[in-house]
Amino acid sequence: MRLPDLNDLTDVGSRLLERAGGVAGRILLERDVRLGVTGLRRSGKTVFTTAVVDNLLKAGRLPFLDVISSSRLQASRLQPQPDPDVPRFQYEEHMKALSGPPINPMGPHWPEPTRGISQLRLAIRYRPNSALKRVVQSSAILNLDIVDYPGEWLLDLPLLHQSFAEWSALTLEMAEREPRAALSVDWRGWLATVDPAGRAEEELVRQGARLYTAFLHACRNVDGLSLIQPGRFVEPGDFENAPLLTFCPLPGGQRGRGTLWALMEERYDAYRSVVVRRFFAEHFARLDRQVVLIDVLGALNAGSDAVGDMKRALELSLEPFRHGSAGWLDWLFGTKIDRVLFAATKADHIASSQHANLRRLLDDLVADARRAIRFEGAQVETMALAALKSTETVMADHDGRQLRCVRGIPVDRDRETVLYPGDIPEAQDVFTRPYSFMRFKPPPGAGTDARGLPHIRLDQALQFLLGDYLA
Amino acid sequence: MIERSKERPADERTWVPPMELDPARSTPVPVEENLAAGSAAERLPALLAEGKPGRGVGRWLFGALAALVLVALGFDTADLLQRSFATSLALGTLVAALVGVAGISAVALLIKELRSLRRLRRIEHLRGEADHLVVQAGQGEGDRFAGALSRLYEGRADLEPALARLKDFVTDAHDDAEVVRLIDREVLAVLDRRAYQTVLLAARDTAVVTALSPAAVVDLAVVLWRNLKLVRTIAGLYGARPGYIGSLRLLRRMLANLAVAGVTESAHHVAVEALGGSLVAAISTRVGQGVINGLLTARVGLTAMHLCRPVPFGPHNRPSLGKIRGELMSLPKQVL
Repeated sequence: MRLPDLNDLTDVGSRLLERAGGVAGRILLERDVRLGVTGLRRSGKTVFTTAVVDNLLKAGRLPFLDVISSSRLQASRLQPQPDPDVPRFQYEEHMKALSGPPINPMGPHWPEPTRGISQLRLAIRYRPNSALKRVVQSSAILNLDIVDYPGEWLLDLPLLHQSFAEWSALTLEMAEREPRAALSVDWRGWLATVDPAGRAEEELVRQGARLYTAFLHACRNVDGLSLIQPGRFVEPGDFENAPLLTFCPLPGGQRGRGTLWALMEERYDAYRSVVVRRFFAEHFARLDRQVVLIDVLGALNAGSDAVGDMKRALELSLEPFRHGSAGWLDWLFGTKIDRVLFAATKADHIASSQHANLRRLLDDLVADARRAIRFEGAQVETMALAALKSTETVMADHDGRQLRCVRGIPVDRDRETVLYPGDIPEAQDVFTRPYSFMRFKPPPGAGTDARGLPHIRLDQALQFLLGDYLA
Repeated sequence: MIERSKERPADERTWVPPMELDPARSTPVPVEENLAAGSAAERLPALLAEGKPGRGVGRWLFGALAALVLVALGFDTADLLQRSFATSLALGTLVAALVGVAGISAVALLIKELRSLRRLRRIEHLRGEADHLVVQAGQGEGDRFAGALSRLYEGRADLEPALARLKDFVTDAHDDAEVVRLIDREVLAVLDRRAYQTVLLAARDTAVVTALSPAAVVDLAVVLWRNLKLVRTIAGLYGARPGYIGSLRLLRRMLANLAVAGVTESAHHVAVEALGGSLVAAISTRVGQGVINGLLTARVGLTAMHLCRPVPFGPHNRPSLGKIRGELMSLPKQVL
């Protein structure tokens, strides 16, 4: 009679043990990683995020991702996101937009510019490489959280470190120089008529803000102007018409209470603490990995001023991020970003033989930022990539010379064309010759096969960013 | 622009303004056809250059003696044929047929050896080219390299899925270094795993045989035979399929390699390994010897892997003695 009892006991014991093992395994083997996709507007954040998710889900085009090439990846799937108050990233919608006719009768087109913040969680189930981890549980899960947001908002981050007086001085100085001078005539005309030390009138404040917003919108419509602050003025999100967004830079130093200057400063500070600080704290303060997407080709197209402007905007907006080597005390002091990838996006706009030069150009462009981040202890890598490869490199004959060109369908046409966009020189001085990079439509067959979106070096980017998590 | 063109006239002449061209006149980036095999024969590979015997009196003596033997053999055969035909027509026909078969098979053997040598040379050439491509990271050569490698492994059923995957993965956007890395990861990694298993098995075999054999002569013979077989298997796996001369040459080159540089670990390391197993050695010298022999066989195998691989090993995928060592160290437990 005692034997079955003993059996029961051991049974209960082993079940308990199993459960304890399961809990321990979940702690040990389920990890979260927050990937920060940062980039100025039109640098391709949404398409990058869509391509990353699609390729990880289908896993058919990532030969350079170790977990896939050693066939340890079991499967990935979309999971409920961790923050319920943030809208979900519309992966399915974006995929539909990028896909060809059977799925999307209108034909492939690029997603609309992002207007608000959204988030997505992708769970990757894989077999760990280390024998120790495999003993605990044969497979592990990595939760990848990605946030998408309008690139305009990224430029709010530098405001965190600037007072109203500093910011005003910088903005005014920039507005007086070309190409902004011509765009800001109205606003500067208004500035000349008002007295910052005068009494604060709501109507006056609104007028100033309106003119300043108009100036920012004008800047946005010019190709190649990146530094547009504050970002919410042009892309308000859910702050449309809020008094928080009615201020503008004013000349001069601190003025007394009740003056126009004081009111503007009050609103600027409120904007910083309510909008910017919250945005940063909720989405950027906890990042583990960061990819900085840079549309180098777009800036090259627009000229040397545009490249300078973009470089400045990037350096300013990277400042608030906490870079450094990850340590075991991170849970106490907050996480640090220990790997940063600078990526020149839209590499498919040029022939593949040019990628090395594009990367070199990117190296030059981010040299300072890269040095600073390396100094903090994080790993930095640069790459030329395309999240969605929409062209092919072909040879074309021109006056007896064979030129490497790109072939694809331009965005505003229906027929294929072959474009020679100009060669990026190896030397430092890249503006001796004009370029003509063209925007192409997504390739006709994209998203219709089960292998994932075609890309350039997305797998190497993912290997750098996530490879050690998936080891 | 005009001033600039004065400064750099040569550059200006080659410059082409950005423009659109007629899609009908464009062609895919060409894949240059099999240059690898052709140029391999022209260039004298390191393998053969090293294998060449010294030009001296000895060589003349050897050549002359061989010629004499050949002539004597010819005379004897002719004599034999005449005598057998004189005895009877049937005997004559039989002997003539035998002579014919012997001659034809000798020629066939020679051709086979030469072809296997050519394959070895081709792999050698591919290795050099892979090194070059990785350093240059240019454009357009990678496809050709992938083509040459695919031809090398044509008709291998075990590699078909890997080659098909490779074809799927390589796009026009990859530069040469990336193509070589893809080949390394997708195709050769498969072979590496199998080669490593082979080495592991051979090392264990030698160790066990040495530990158990009654006489030193026996285990000397077995170890030699096992090593030769191991080298041939690994070379075959990587597509070299060496003949007898080829594998002897490979073995000789490997012995030089083992003696001089030590590919994965230095000779001193082996000694440390052996001493690490000193407890075992104290218990049984035979088992100790077995472990040493096993380690040596493993080193021969790993060297063969290094020499036969069409793409040289990188720092991250270099095969190590580590696992084999562990396996061999558990041997005393199995044997005793």
